[in-house]
Amino acid sequence: MISDAARRRYQAIVPPHVDDAYALARWLSGDPADAEDIVQDAALRALNALETANVERPRAWFLRIVRNTALTWMAKNRSKSLAFAGSADDLAAIEAVDFAADEESPEAILIAAEDGERVRRALAALPPPLREALVLREINGLAYREIAEATETPIGTVMSRLARGRAALAKMLEDNR
Amino acid sequence: MTDTDPRHDRLLRLNAALDDELDAAHRIELERELERDPQLRASLRRLSVVREAVRRHGATEAAPAALRNAVAAIGRPKADWRRAPLPLAAAIALGIVIGAAAQSLFFASGAPDPVTASLVADFARAGLSERPFDVASSDRHTVKPWLVAHAPLGVEIVDLADKGYPLAGGRIAVVGATPLPTLVYQRREHWIALTEAPLSLGDGRLEAKDGTLHGFHLVRWADRERAYVAVSDIDADELSAFAAAFRAAAGAGGGETR
Repeated sequence: MISDAARRRYQAIVPPHVDDAYALARWLSGDPADAEDIVQDAALRALNALETANVERPRAWFLRIVRNTALTWMAKNRSKSLAFAGSADDLAAIEAVDFAADEESPEAILIAAEDGERVRRALAALPPPLREALVLREINGLAYREIAEATETPIGTVMSRLARGRAALAKMLEDNR
Repeated sequence: MTDTDPRHDRLLRLNAALDDELDAAHRIELERELERDPQLRASLRRLSVVREAVRRHGATEAAPAALRNAVAAIGRPKADWRRAPLPLAAAIALGIVIGAAAQSLFFASGAPDPVTASLVADFARAGLSERPFDVASSDRHTVKPWLVAHAPLGVEIVDLADKGYPLAGGRIAVVGATPLPTLVYQRREHWIALTEAPLSLGDGRLEAKDGTLHGFHLVRWADRERAYVAVSDIDADELSAFAAAFRAAAGAGGGETR
């Protein structure tokens, strides 16, 4: 039985962030219909959690639930195609990216960045931990500490993932000419 | 490359600067480095391009309306779950049709009349929105002029703060095509919406029907000038007590009428 107080908190916290939740779920799942299911599941979880939860940063709090719901959802429905949690292998591969790559042709990346389809493909191809950090930062507009809360990750790791994610994206855009 | 690599640290700072997350001391230091290092400047430009590309091309469309409605419905009491949006929408549509036809706004029989349905829908909708009122103020001298300016009807406002119902604000409820001033009082964590309507809209039958619709309680009464409909999700007895307090205060001349 959900209390009135929990419902009231829910109405203040969850519906205002449904667009952000949907955007995150789309980028995590890669599929609009799956994203709708994930956001609905997450909303139900949020309502139950609000019976006891003490919420300081509503958006980060709800997006964390969306993210965790997406992980569970994909582990259940896509066990074959995706290892979401971000294995050490994913990150090791990114270590190899040279952060300070030579800048011999800045126009290449400028041209590639104009191509929306190509940018979206590159973003979708990023290892999930890097992709989620970038989406939370650029699409959802979260601050570092909110990203840390949403992904249950230390801020230092968030910074590192953003740096790696951007470096990897830059490289992908420059390479596939 | 390892985490102790100075280039790694510098790149983290570059990203933090881009994200406006760098403290002042580090920002000044980085600006100096940027001045003397063309490669670092090129890195910053490259990161900016990536960032803009993700922002521009990565944005998804807004959540579909069906999802938006489903998420809002999850927070409503169980009885109305998933079923609620349709009757409410239908009620609003019905209210508009009848209003447009300039017919009597009230039905005589026991079925929920369009005015009631419309006010309950208004209450539910206001509860879902980020701003449950158009003017938020506990000061009736602020709320009243706003309501008077936005609805043709005069409005009676009484101060019930010492009875446990502080004024929270006001909004306009639209029934059919008629804007009606609505006061929003607070009771603990709940709202009580009190809509005032001219008697001519109610055919004098308003006082007869208290009750419940879609889980919300209603209490109605009328005086010589206007009809009142109180809607809330507090329980029926409490809402009756609120109505009694309002009527007593208004009757005692504690109210202000235009």
